Amino acid sequence: MRRARSLADVVLAALCLWAAWYHTPPGALLRAAVARLTGTRDPTPALLSYYGAGARPFQLAEPLPPRAALSPGAALGLGAQSALERLSPAERAEVLSGAGLRSGSADALGDWIGREADKQGSREAAVLSLFCGEEAARFARQRASGPGLEELARQLPPRYEDRVALAATALTLGTAYALAWPLPDSAQVTSPFGVRAHPLLGGRRLHSGIDLGVSIGTPVRAVADGLVRRASDDRVSGRLVLLDHGSGVSTVYCHNESLLVSPGDAVKKGQVIALSGNSGLSTGPHLHYQLDLPQGPADPLRFRAARPPQLASGGTEP
Amino acid sequence: MQPGTDPGAGAFDATARVADRLRWFFLPLALCALVAVGVHTAADVLGELLLRMVDAADAAFDSLASRWAFTAPLVDLVGPSQRVFFARGVALLWELAADALLALPMLGYDERGDEVQRFRELAAKAWARPTTLHLVGPFATGAVALAGSCAVGRLLEGTLHFGLRGALGSAADALAHGCALAAVLGLVGFIAWRGVVHALVRADARSDRIPGGRARRFTAGLPAAVLLLPLAVAALRAAPLLSFLR
Repeated sequence: MRRARSLADVVLAALCLWAAWYHTPPGALLRAAVARLTGTRDPTPALLSYYGAGARPFQLAEPLPPRAALSPGAALGLGAQSALERLSPAERAEVLSGAGLRSGSADALGDWIGREADKQGSREAAVLSLFCGEEAARFARQRASGPGLEELARQLPPRYEDRVALAATALTLGTAYALAWPLPDSAQVTSPFGVRAHPLLGGRRLHSGIDLGVSIGTPVRAVADGLVRRASDDRVSGRLVLLDHGSGVSTVYCHNESLLVSPGDAVKKGQVIALSGNSGLSTGPHLHYQLDLPQGPADPLRFRAARPPQLASGGTEP
Repeated sequence: MQPGTDPGAGAFDATARVADRLRWFFLPLALCALVAVGVHTAADVLGELLLRMVDAADAAFDSLASRWAFTAPLVDLVGPSQRVFFARGVALLWELAADALLALPMLGYDERGDEVQRFRELAAKAWARPTTLHLVGPFATGAVALAGSCAVGRLLEGTLHFGLRGALGSAADALAHGCALAAVLGLVGFIAWRGVVHALVRADARSDRIPGGRARRFTAGLPAAVLLLPLAVAALRAAPLLSFLR
């Protein structure tokens, strides 16, 4: 009896060690070391990507430029198309044929994801279904306690890590493409995104957003549904609001005159969240609008078809 | 081989004998791995809480650093882009600290024949003279071991489901589900509870060394409680035990 139990214990111990190989930091380090020693490709994402904090491991993908204003469905289609560009032509064809699609265009992908979302119950499950297959999405959905991609991905075995990362990328880019604009389109870009000489702090620094010149008191609107993560005041960024839109996308609105929301508030797309101003380190009334993706700050104009007017000089507002 | 002996039974017996002799080696290793998997599972779902903590800390830091010109550039140190990175970094450090407190000590597990009796005696002693250490360690170990068992079960289920689906069709679903349920029950029944016993043994030994009265017995384990209790609650949230019964 004791020996039979020992055998069962050996099997269970082996299962524990196997799980630790995939589900602990030392396991991840060992896998990376083994992959390096054997010269094989390691699908293990970076160690810190294991912890759910808004987004799953993200594969850097070049966002395709939108040609026109996008509906949420078309935006997700374009996000999926951008993520598919990461795959080899053969892998891309496999994904498309798995979904029964002849074309990998943004419109076709957007329509397919919309239909699949009705079937699977959420857009996250639909995107997972596109990249990992319908069976994987069904398996994950039946066992997950929530509709988020993180929770769905936790149910899948490690072989899907790469594809889940692509699904996360598609959702992130799709969310970014669907963002509206915080101010009227007539607001002028007074300082674009990119490295510049900082007019007040000195030195060359990344300007992590864009500055839109507007008069004090102009309503600033949420660019999508989201959760207020931060509504605070400091002497550099002034009165700022940080909105989390899910899928690793957040937006920041700085230098406001007054804030109309508090941390923890849920906001709707188009809701007035602040009145613009000149607070913090600023040389004139403007809104600093910033788009953050898991890889870092991104130029919001890259995700927008309509171009707001720009100052000919490029501007120097902080 | 003696006449009439079944070679299959002989091999089984020999393997079982070897397994029995190696219990001192693989049981501590299994306990350590199971608790570590559970700790990781719990740390994984702490992301939301940690993001809120990082946001609040970042707002307070920015408010302070922006007051003086020479510290103003530090405001950009933790921008919105780095907040997720920091939250994940905190989760990793939290996990490693919890591993040091819960998982690594499991390597010192020393199996005895009367484990149930030992548990009863220690529980009675803890009930008569409770300390924070008595409560926190075993409770946290039990919670993360349960979460770890569910994580192992899910990994097994997913791997079998997708590995056998080509050969067995829809029967793979039932087989994978049955194996996962058996694994979870086996882990809880054969492995996880030993972790709780070992945590209780350690907590009892440390509690015996605490000098002074009731106040000291309460405060001695508070730092560990602050670290481990949120993780234990997260572990219980991350243990979808009922999903294996559906």
